[in-house]
Amino acid sequence: MKLNIEGLLVYFPYDYIYPEQYSYMLELKRTLDAKGHGVLEMPSGTGKTISLLSLIVAYQKAYPLEVTKLIYCSRTVPEIEKVVEELRKLMEFYTKETGEKNNFLALALSSRKNLCIHPEVSSLRFGKEVDGKCHSLTASYIRAQHHSNPSQPVCRFYEEFDAVGRQVPIPSGIYNLDDLKDFGRKKGWCPYYLARYSILHANIVVYSYHYLLDPKIADLVSKELAKKSVVVFDEAHNIDNVCIDSMSVNITRRTLDRCQTNVDTLQNTIQRIKETDAAKLREEYRRLVEGLKEANVARETDIYLSNPVLPDEVLQEAIPGSIRTAEHFVGFLKRFLEYLKARLRIHHVVQESSPQFLKDIYEKVCIDRKPLRFCAERLRSLLRTLEIADIADFSPITLISHFATLVSTYSKGFTIIIEPFEDKTPTIANPVLHFSCMDPSIAIKPVFERFQSVVITSGTLSPLDIYPRILDFRPVTMASFTMTLARTCLCPLIVGRGNDQVAMSSKFETREDFAVIRNYGNLLLEMSAIVPDGIVAFFTSYVYMENIVASWYEQGILENIQRNKLIFIETPDAAETSMALEKYQEACENGRGAILLSVARGKVSEGIDFVHHFGRAVIMFGVPYVYTQSRILKARLEYLRDQFQIRENDFLTFDAMRHAAQCVGRAIRGKTDYGLMIFADKRYARADKRGKLPRWIQEHISDGSLNLTIDETVQLSKHFLRQMAQPFRREDQLGLSLLTLEQLQSEEMLEKISQIAQQA
Amino acid sequence: MDEEPERAKRWEGGYERTWEVLKEDESGSLKATVEDILFQAKRKRVFESHGQVRLGMMRHLYVVIDSSRTMEDQDLKPNRLTSTLKLMEFFVEEYFDQNPISQVMFLLFEINTFFYICFDAGNPKKHVAALKKAVGSTCLGEPSLYNALNIAMQTLKHMPGHTSREILIIFSSLTTCDPANIYELIKTLKELKIRVSVIGLSAEVRVCTILTRETGGSYNVILDESHFKELLMLHVKPPPASSSSECSLIRMGFPQHIIASVSDQDAKPSFSMSLYTLYCMRTRRGLRLFALCLTLVSAPHLARSFHHLFPLDAFQESPLEEHTGDRFCQACQGELKDKSVFTCPACSSVFCTECDLFIHDTLHCCPACIHTQGAS
Repeated sequence: MKLNIEGLLVYFPYDYIYPEQYSYMLELKRTLDAKGHGVLEMPSGTGKTISLLSLIVAYQKAYPLEVTKLIYCSRTVPEIEKVVEELRKLMEFYTKETGEKNNFLALALSSRKNLCIHPEVSSLRFGKEVDGKCHSLTASYIRAQHHSNPSQPVCRFYEEFDAVGRQVPIPSGIYNLDDLKDFGRKKGWCPYYLARYSILHANIVVYSYHYLLDPKIADLVSKELAKKSVVVFDEAHNIDNVCIDSMSVNITRRTLDRCQTNVDTLQNTIQRIKETDAAKLREEYRRLVEGLKEANVARETDIYLSNPVLPDEVLQEAIPGSIRTAEHFVGFLKRFLEYLKARLRIHHVVQESSPQFLKDIYEKVCIDRKPLRFCAERLRSLLRTLEIADIADFSPITLISHFATLVSTYSKGFTIIIEPFEDKTPTIANPVLHFSCMDPSIAIKPVFERFQSVVITSGTLSPLDIYPRILDFRPVTMASFTMTLARTCLCPLIVGRGNDQVAMSSKFETREDFAVIRNYGNLLLEMSAIVPDGIVAFFTSYVYMENIVASWYEQGILENIQRNKLIFIETPDAAETSMALEKYQEACENGRGAILLSVARGKVSEGIDFVHHFGRAVIMFGVPYVYTQSRILKARLEYLRDQFQIRENDFLTFDAMRHAAQCVGRAIRGKTDYGLMIFADKRYARADKRGKLPRWIQEHISDGSLNLTIDETVQLSKHFLRQMAQPFRREDQLGLSLLTLEQLQSEEMLEKISQIAQQA
Repeated sequence: MDEEPERAKRWEGGYERTWEVLKEDESGSLKATVEDILFQAKRKRVFESHGQVRLGMMRHLYVVIDSSRTMEDQDLKPNRLTSTLKLMEFFVEEYFDQNPISQVMFLLFEINTFFYICFDAGNPKKHVAALKKAVGSTCLGEPSLYNALNIAMQTLKHMPGHTSREILIIFSSLTTCDPANIYELIKTLKELKIRVSVIGLSAEVRVCTILTRETGGSYNVILDESHFKELLMLHVKPPPASSSSECSLIRMGFPQHIIASVSDQDAKPSFSMSLYTLYCMRTRRGLRLFALCLTLVSAPHLARSFHHLFPLDAFQESPLEEHTGDRFCQACQGELKDKSVFTCPACSSVFCTECDLFIHDTLHCCPACIHTQGAS
């Protein structure tokens, strides 16, 4: 259908539209009009993606000079593929309606592992191996060697692309990863480099967060994207953690040992080269004297994404003399390494700021701040000069050099914590140096500064106002949308007590309480008897889950549950978990029924959807607070309090509730889906917790479902499940939660729609 | 269920929120909603207008009743099993009333024990007696949908192709313990054109949804006892025959009782005619009842099945206030009191709710229309 969104003609590829989609597009349009940033929350399964795409594409077509590019960031490869499929549908609709050939270029970009078509390289299993192998076939000096010595293997796909591909632009169309591969195979071009090259002139780019947020990758891939782009972060409820992770470094003793080997290799290579080809090293030296001019030229036009690791002023300077020659630099690295080793040889926890660390390193081993800053750049140059093909082997030393650069660049927002052992195992010495970023805004700042509109959206972003605060930006629109429903297909229940009236809670004092564990067991047992097919249960942590399950086993509760359903358990091991998940789905499919015990913040809670029968009920045992004794967290909380005036408790609750909402949100993936959401902790009933749940869940929690006992829960659930099992047809939705164009245009409906969005 | 022998005590039952169904009207009284609920209950009936389609009128229905642990559940009073069996008695009577030329079998199942309540027969009395006897049986263990379907299939497989082969499962449990992949079996059932319908007593189970969708049956989940009864009644009507089912003319015998001393010279009965001997007009022979060479029916049976082909149109419902004619029901001559009145589209006579139900459920023709036809 064709919609008129405040004067903009939007093509929407479906015959029906949800009211909230219309409302969402309105808000989005206002954001784009204002050339500002937006935070939008809309429940999953209500067609966020297609609303985003149709509006932004329409905007691009209407104002080609205002918005030149859409950069859509998603989290996982399947999600990226889904976005591209929606886009394809939209473009087909455009072609059908307007009759003209589509001149849009949209493509997905992923790592080499997903895009490589080289027969040997693509058969490797790990991403790192693929990257390393690819590098050893495509590096510039390898190709130079190939010229003089044809027996040196190179990648023929890359050669072909390099020779022809850059001149001929990829024909317009929609390309997902497989399409790119097919196209690459047909032409004999490398799809990865083709995609990387083509994103510069593509209208729509779909890729992972890291290509924008991780400074190391962003520098390579997204440097030249135009300023007039719209950036969308989908499923962005965890964006602050992604930012922090991309800037943090953890160094263990093992890393240092491997670094030592790296340094030795470097030294040997230098020695060898010196004997054979001293001119090469001299050439490098000359280049370094001239400074980082190269990078500087690129930055002059100011359209590039600035690299947060290397601030502007650094580029003005030449690499300091003390690390210019290769031997000196290796010596420098050795000293630095020895210093780190010495620091790790401790018996108590040390926490210090970056300036303290710099002061200490200066006093102990006379390493100045300046050379440290250039460490990463200098290492890269050295590796290039030495023509080391297999970069993958040098990841530890690269990590150390990043650490050196970061620690000397930022004096604020980071902390260094050295722990001699892990908290769980205080007897085993396993020293770790955490260089931890506490301020997510550092990584994301360049994105906000550079692009005219950045939209952060997800199903669970409540409370909305906290994101602009921790990411340090000023949005023009902040809105939360509810789900309009023809039948209430979600049923959030807060269970606070067992049948014996003992309060259920996972709080620390009652955690080991026998009665609480038994009540949790009874709840699961009762639910397993009345909920069909799949139940997903989330615990607050692996340790807690292990304790509880062991206790249930002793009490015989597990045995009883197994009469109703099979039990599967998520473990930290990815292969085991995916196996468990597969079997779980099989059991749901053939009617045996199954329970998946998993952990909030785990893999399952973040990325797996339990549509329809795969998740008829989600039980959240306890409030998933993050482990509060961790020193990194404490440092971060302190930082948040000092810098952003966010109280510790507020942040902890916010973090716990967003994960709880993520977990229970797994069950509802659309309007025809239905599911129970059971919050098994009495603390959820409090207003401060409840108020932080997304609005679309909150509005279905009535006062009657606040502090229930187990048998009340069972009765309510039974009733709900029977209600939901009644036939539900599309006609029932029409006019209420699903609109045709005529219905949408009626005054009354527009009035209603304006109430869907709630401005924060 | 009026007479419940060992009615469970109120406090033994579950926690119910009976007040949630009731809503106050503007004046704060509950009367309106209560009446509304009663009226809805009376009126709830599905008019499925098949139009002109072939109906599978010769039915072989296999009713399979879950007898696993969950049947002891007391959310239907006194428990699910007793309540189900009681409704089944009612169902059998209705079934034979509406489908006199069809047959039904009953089977209780759980993981590996099967218990025939009553084996294939066309005699409702036997069924009712057998169902009464089954009430006391205990429910244990897990159910196996696979085994149950398999057994039912083994029997139905041999039924002639022109009949409508159906399985109706009353499924109380939410889990099934199968010895093999049930999806293979579903495929076989589909090939054999056996229609499987399920009535769930607890909640929607995925495998049943697929089972019924694939085989062309219906899947419903009960809300409460009266809804259960309604859903059962849906299965009384013969379903539309699948277009691919065999089509053939069936030879039928209309038996007559003849007295042994009949003076037919052609007939040379080879055995002495007894009371149970029927005389076959085709082979000109007297036959024992158990050795029939063709299907026997009686004329009233056929006539009773006949109305399914020409169902009575649904009467038009209109609010009482708008009704301008006389205030009495054409059928019972009682005063029209309910909210709505029903008008026959053919002769435009008006009826009350109760008579409307009676006409559609039992009479299958409009009395007023017949009256006018007879008069003219």
